[in-house]
Amino acid sequence: MNFPWFKRIGIFFIPASVAGWIILLAGCVFAVFSFMDIDGRSHSVSDTLMNFVFMLLIIGAVYSLVAYLTSRVWKK
Amino acid sequence: MEKENFEKKLKDMTKPEIQGLKHEAMLENAIINAKDKSVVSWWWLSVPVFIILMLMMKSIFMPGTTLISNMHELESNQKYMSLIFFLISPLVLIILNAFSIRKIYFLSGSPKSINFLGTIWANILIIAFSVLILIIYSL
Repeated sequence: MNFPWFKRIGIFFIPASVAGWIILLAGCVFAVFSFMDIDGRSHSVSDTLMNFVFMLLIIGAVYSLVAYLTSRVWKK
Repeated sequence: MEKENFEKKLKDMTKPEIQGLKHEAMLENAIINAKDKSVVSWWWLSVPVFIILMLMMKSIFMPGTTLISNMHELESNQKYMSLIFFLISPLVLIILNAFSIRKIYFLSGSPKSINFLGTIWANILIIAFSVLILIIYSL
């Protein structure tokens, strides 16, 4: 596999290859899906937002971990 | 002519060209790695911090409850989630960032200057926040 997939700019990991873009896209699709799911179950706007922000942070944390692990060339 | 060539060869042999110090490259890599790690750590820390802020808000708007009582309620309702975000994750972050600081400290020759703190301030802050989260969780 050709690494790195991501490069870090500030606190964000930006995709640097096709695989990186696929991971980012998958994260975005999952975020939209979880928003729709949370919105369907919640009773107010604040309820939706609180639960969605929590989910967004988890997605961001997992994405950053994957990006960190694939953003460097590991020595054999 | 032959003698000149021989002298040139001898000069090349006695003067190996070193473009950069290996130690310098190692230090550079360690600093970049520590910064990358600190970014990942911020993301993982943001989850428990967000939960704590929400619980604080709940304790303000619901009379008779405190942050600690809300935390205990969360602990009993979401056992594994609270264990991951309030115990395992901060512990892992403390260990990873402490190792990064130690590596940079030794590679830069055990400095005692303020410049060293300027390089690793984010890692120190992450350790401090992680300890704070562990304290809140253990209360």
